Amino acid sequence: MLVFITKRLLWMIPSLFAISFLAFVLIQLPPGDYVTTYIATLASSNEIVDQNTAAQLRERFGLDQPMIVQYLKWIWGILSRGDFGISFEWQQPVSGLIWERMALTLVLALATLIATWAIALPIGVYSAVKKYSIGDYLFTAFTFLGLAIPSFLLALVLMYVAAVEFGQDVGGLFSSEYETAYWSIAKMLDLLKHIWLPVIILAVSSTASLIRVMRANMLDELPKPYVTTARAKGLSEFRLLVKYPLRIALNPFISTIAWLLPNLISGSVVVAIVLNLPTAGPLLLQSLMAQDMYLAGAFVLLICALTLIGSLISDILLALVDPRIRLE
Amino acid sequence: MRDKIQSRGVTRRAVLGGMAGVAALSLAGRAAAAGGEAPALAELVKGGKLPPLADRLPKKPMVVPPFEKIGTYGGTLRRGLRGSSDHNGILRMVGNQSLVRWNMEFTKVLPNLAERWEVNDDASQFTFHLIEGARWSDGHPFTADDVVFAIEDCVKNTDLYSAAPAQLSVAGKVVNVEKIDDFTVKFTFAAPNALYLENLATPLGQHPTLFPKHYCSQFLPKYNANVAEDAKKAGVSSWPELFRARCGDIEIPSRWGNVDKPTLDPWVVKEPYTGGATRVVMTRNPYFWQVDTEGNQLPYIDEINFGISQDVESLMLNVISGKIDIQERHISVLANKPTLSQNMKKGDYRLLTLVPSTSQQCQIYFNITHKDPAMRKMFADKSFRQALSLGINRPEVIDIVYFGQSEGYQAGPRPEHPWYHEKLARQFTEYDADKAGAMLDKAGYDKKDGNGFRLRPDGEKVFFAIDVIPTLYPDLVDALELVKAHWAQIGIDMKVNTIERALYYTRGDDNAHDAQVWPGPGGLDPMLDPRDFFAFHPQGSRYAIPWSVWYTSNGKKGEEPPESQKKRMKLFDEARSTADLDKRGAAMKQIFDIAADEFETVGLCLAVGGFGIIRNNLRNVPEKQPDSWSWPNPGPALPQQFTFTS
Repeated sequence: MLVFITKRLLWMIPSLFAISFLAFVLIQLPPGDYVTTYIATLASSNEIVDQNTAAQLRERFGLDQPMIVQYLKWIWGILSRGDFGISFEWQQPVSGLIWERMALTLVLALATLIATWAIALPIGVYSAVKKYSIGDYLFTAFTFLGLAIPSFLLALVLMYVAAVEFGQDVGGLFSSEYETAYWSIAKMLDLLKHIWLPVIILAVSSTASLIRVMRANMLDELPKPYVTTARAKGLSEFRLLVKYPLRIALNPFISTIAWLLPNLISGSVVVAIVLNLPTAGPLLLQSLMAQDMYLAGAFVLLICALTLIGSLISDILLALVDPRIRLE
Repeated sequence: MRDKIQSRGVTRRAVLGGMAGVAALSLAGRAAAAGGEAPALAELVKGGKLPPLADRLPKKPMVVPPFEKIGTYGGTLRRGLRGSSDHNGILRMVGNQSLVRWNMEFTKVLPNLAERWEVNDDASQFTFHLIEGARWSDGHPFTADDVVFAIEDCVKNTDLYSAAPAQLSVAGKVVNVEKIDDFTVKFTFAAPNALYLENLATPLGQHPTLFPKHYCSQFLPKYNANVAEDAKKAGVSSWPELFRARCGDIEIPSRWGNVDKPTLDPWVVKEPYTGGATRVVMTRNPYFWQVDTEGNQLPYIDEINFGISQDVESLMLNVISGKIDIQERHISVLANKPTLSQNMKKGDYRLLTLVPSTSQQCQIYFNITHKDPAMRKMFADKSFRQALSLGINRPEVIDIVYFGQSEGYQAGPRPEHPWYHEKLARQFTEYDADKAGAMLDKAGYDKKDGNGFRLRPDGEKVFFAIDVIPTLYPDLVDALELVKAHWAQIGIDMKVNTIERALYYTRGDDNAHDAQVWPGPGGLDPMLDPRDFFAFHPQGSRYAIPWSVWYTSNGKKGEEPPESQKKRMKLFDEARSTADLDKRGAAMKQIFDIAADEFETVGLCLAVGGFGIIRNNLRNVPEKQPDSWSWPNPGPALPQQFTFTS
């Protein structure tokens, strides 16, 4: 096991280099550069950038150099002094910008994950055990609805209803008095007051698909001989379900942990934008659109690193949960 | 309008400036007697934390007559920003404190931080007399030294500005600024620069009042030998970067990212505009140097809260649920008007009318300098462009896309402008498909393919793409789709090429486009942006980018334009260097005449006005404002005198 983990960790180093280079190239692929985008954004409000200023911006940001030089400078900064560069747009160190938003992203993603699993697992098991019952049909209908409604649309509708019909404060994760306050019990409570809406919206679609996955998996396991044997030996129905078929049916959930971590950042971008949540997603999108290379590059790098870590975790967990998997 | 008033010449303007100064003086006498201040500030004075009002205000503070009535202190004004590159949303509201400013009507330059000025006969020397005793927001006096420092030490520093801003350079040389005494500065240009006062009133003219010497000098090697170390300590790679991060520039987000930088604005940054910010809060400047007619220190409103929305829809939602006090930016597209009108009661707001300073809603720029010789020949043919213009059913476009709120138009100053040019504006705006077809036949496009589309003399189908940015101008996409149908009827095949913003610009810069559309400027400000009358703007004159590059690089780059263009370039150079505004008008008239004859761009209809909302309890806001970057609405309407009734 230890050897396996060490090997995997070592492999991550060249992978990260390859990924970071690809990411850098991809970010550069769209036509134009940060300055073009900057001028274009201002022009959208009919605002004009001084011609001399534009040329000078390009020179200052090193955009007139070949891409490989820009990449090497960037990666050297990270390796030598942990410096992810300066965001063109904000003239701020990139690392500061990223960590600022990661904490809230983590809170939101974990809350959503717990909500999703808490709803999906029991319902999935129930629909499998009580196949073709009224409850199963009801949940199935709900599932398809949840899958069919795009989450941004759901967000817009819920926001409209909450804001216009109930006069509720929507958008953001805090009331204005807590927005920049330090963490306190009151601020936590304020967060809880706001977080339910995004959590519901984000949970709806993933709950729906998880229920289906869980149901199908359980249905695969239930008719298997070991279940019949266990039942014949007189195990209570609940213990029987939890101890064997459920454990095996969890397999796909655990394999998806690898995507779960990067999803922290990129999964809820659209909803976060609509709901105006101060999470990492909108900042990532914005940096990509502005071609703010170092900020976007750092995000992509972070997402890739998280994917690698996530797949390692899920491999380890799988080995622990599923007795059929051996690492050696 | 503006130009009519200017046309009485520089001496007259100097007198006007002087008179306004005198008017301010006499009012100030009364003002000092009354003298109110915000309760919170009075509290600080009582506690000894702030000097008394009389010591904070200039001896003769600038008097601003309120728009409707004397206001009351207090309140937080809420407004929306977008998440990225929306720093100008703050600039427009707060940062309007240049040496001079526009009047409400966008017709005249008024004194601001300069209480009066003199201009010499050939408009190459400007002497500004600053308000005595105005202070930066930290209480430090604002003097001639600051203006000299801003230009001589900052703007002319090649490490900071590898090329000085275009406004401050004439004939390839940067302006010289010298101090006459503590409150008098003289600007000397290498050649006549008759438009300088107008340019100074626009946002790009703010450099002279942007950098406080006592603060920003610490980021320059000339004043601080340790600046390189300071930069390292701050985590940036060089001192110019440190300077930008701390002192900002006119148009970059970091201008609003440093709470320590002293400013001359009515409100100063409390919660900065940074990458992670979800809002920006500005709080009143206790040293603001303007008062109302009763001597009460401005601004009336305590704080401005700019909420940052990633999405315009959520901004709209805030507007209709009454959570925004004044907003036009981002929401003023025609498609939002029905929603905003319907919810006026619910949101408790009234509508704000914006008068466009642009001329044309949808200018079609055929690339006359196309890289492909066959396409170039086709677009360069005047009768081809005229035929296509005749082939557009403008009333239908206006009815369907613009709810009937416009009229057919080509280019040129708007009808209410004294320089309105009938031929330039109205020729070929009627719909006549038969005549268009006949003209195309005559021009050599008389053969057709099986689908009824015309063929070029070389046998290729007549086909081109028009670039448009759907995220930016959804209405232009709709309009072009209709035009496509109209042109199909006269046998012309066109593709509405919807592309992303940066690509649009790159294609233009590379001269790789067939045709592009953009709202045409020059409606109320023909001298400031004449890009549709000749190849003036290397990014905007999209019918001949290489010609405009030739013009702006003084013939060093780009492609030499034909005689008629060169003549207009010469006329414009004459116009902008003459102090005599009658002569200026005459030169512009000649430019319009030639432009009308050449018919280089095809226009659709007169630019449609935008709109915004003002909450009903927010008063002193003009309900009709020009809409322009040069008149950066709502700034010149002086938000410092906006006030809440309850």
